[in-house]
Amino acid sequence: MSVPFIALGFSAMLAMMLIGLPIAISMAVIGVVGGVAAYGIPFLDSIAPVVWGVQNDNLLTSIPLFVLLGELLLRSGIADRMYVALSAWLGRLPGGLLHTNIGSCAMFAATSGSSVATAATVGTVALPSLRARGYSMRSSLGSLAAGGTLGILIPPSVNMIVYGSLTNNSIGKLFIAGIIPGLLLTGMFMLYIAVAAMWSKESMREPKVPLGERIRLLRNLVPPAIVFGIVMGSLYFGIATATESAALGVLAALFFVWRSGRLDWALLRNCFISSGRISGMILLIITAAFILNLTISLTGVAENMTRWVVSLGLSQTALLLALIVFYLVLGMFMDVLSMQVATIPITYPIAMALGVDPIWFGIFIVLMSELGMITPPVGMNLFVVHGIRPDNGGIQDAIWGALPYAVIMLLFTLLLIAAPSIVTWLPLYM
Amino acid sequence: MSTASSNNLPRISEAGSRESEESGRAASKRLKEGIESALALVFGVIFFGLSVVVSVETLSRKLFNFSLQGADELGGYALALGSTLAFSLAIMGRAHIRVDVFHERLPKSWQAVLNLLSIVSLAAFGIFICWLAFQVLVDTLNYGSTAPTPWATPLAYPQSLWLAGLIAFALVAGGYSLQAIRLFLNGRTDRLLTDFSPKSAKEELKEELDDLVLRQGGEAS
Repeated sequence: MSVPFIALGFSAMLAMMLIGLPIAISMAVIGVVGGVAAYGIPFLDSIAPVVWGVQNDNLLTSIPLFVLLGELLLRSGIADRMYVALSAWLGRLPGGLLHTNIGSCAMFAATSGSSVATAATVGTVALPSLRARGYSMRSSLGSLAAGGTLGILIPPSVNMIVYGSLTNNSIGKLFIAGIIPGLLLTGMFMLYIAVAAMWSKESMREPKVPLGERIRLLRNLVPPAIVFGIVMGSLYFGIATATESAALGVLAALFFVWRSGRLDWALLRNCFISSGRISGMILLIITAAFILNLTISLTGVAENMTRWVVSLGLSQTALLLALIVFYLVLGMFMDVLSMQVATIPITYPIAMALGVDPIWFGIFIVLMSELGMITPPVGMNLFVVHGIRPDNGGIQDAIWGALPYAVIMLLFTLLLIAAPSIVTWLPLYM
Repeated sequence: MSTASSNNLPRISEAGSRESEESGRAASKRLKEGIESALALVFGVIFFGLSVVVSVETLSRKLFNFSLQGADELGGYALALGSTLAFSLAIMGRAHIRVDVFHERLPKSWQAVLNLLSIVSLAAFGIFICWLAFQVLVDTLNYGSTAPTPWATPLAYPQSLWLAGLIAFALVAGGYSLQAIRLFLNGRTDRLLTDFSPKSAKEELKEELDDLVLRQGGEAS
């Protein structure tokens, strides 16, 4: 298929998505119509085994399991208690509770995986006390919105599973690769808060919490830390595959919920419905993405696009810079998951043709998705933190507050382009 | 958001018909909650059960060097059935992602038509994959296919469950579609907007906040 024809198909799909048809449907329709246009009705026969193949793929079983794991920790209140512990430890830094926002959002989102739940929970606890202590609303909202994005970079991350399954890369490697960038980016956010706080001369610090109290509060971090340790440890040491580590994590989380004394049918029903909805949404999109992928691979769309891009004579760096702009713009209008599944089948082969490391590219895509969560007009996290603010300010406070973090993410991406081993180093030791 | 302005739209004002509509709505709400609970229970049992089997398999393989075999295969079948139930749960929770940034700026009547089109297209897709699954199953039966694994499971069993789950999905999506079509034919754009719009960030946030209040021991608003 020629490049203009591909562009037409891609635009038609984007148009269907943007007028508000379900993402999965938009992808499936373009996949089926494109395939039938190229091969006629017999194309339909080749879809059937693909659909069974996706829905019978043990690798993707890790998605409902990780979602369920997060829901257990979230709905039982185990994740909520992390905020208290972290605020006792991080409040003394210049910038005070803003560090706690970043830190708790990072931990919370890493366990729950939902940015809405993260911002809602941490924000509801944090915003009233931030306001009472005179923190500026703009920087409070910004830190919460940005902190919430860290969850998809810090493993376990459903978005990485989606990337891995679409591109046939090891989920374990992607998870491990996310650790150092996740910690570094968290560190850069906190560094920015500290520098900004000291520079503005009205540096906020929290009163010192006695050491005994702080140590006592550490207890709240134990369950999430153990669950995280089991999942990541079993992956890192090669004891378990992604799906197996998720299963171990679910049982560990279930144990802690039982210990907390909240295990009853109401809680379980809540967890099951919620994880069913989330995984149903994700898996339907993945099913549709594989139908679209079939058309893309049979018709040679990816090869044609790759040949075209290579013929432009771009260097690897130039391509990545172009992709940053592409994802920045797309991320303004699309949600993260849709953006990933709609673009990876095309951008991945192009990046591979220019010699980009596949695991590195996965982290790059995740960073671009994080950026999309805090860029207006459709930055999900902006809406969420705006929705919980206790006063009646406008959405622009959240947008301006999150802007420095968006800039940091962009700089961080450039750093990764300059020093790719930040990503690729740790997975080498698995 | 659509909920806020739906009051401006024409409504049936007769008290009697509203009352019967209210009781009809309550009944359909109970039915919906029943189906949702049942689906959620099966979904939960599948994945809790799978977690136990897979964990036992992983630990026994590593600690005692003894493999039960087949946990991977079971994981695939769990997904085949579990994912189809999850599709239905996502329909019931309006969780299938739609981009709402432009949608919510369109005229109300367009929004209603797009909502109708969305749910009908989901139902059509459901029927389409049922048809695909049926073909897969027929092929399996014709060739007597078994899984290429130590268990050599006759694939007809898991594929039948898979097809059953997909039929449930098509029925749920179809049921919602019929409701949407009826609302459309009766000119009830208001309810097409309240019940079938994409879930906004505001609504998702409210659900999370209600749950937060509940788990901290209070009453949801």
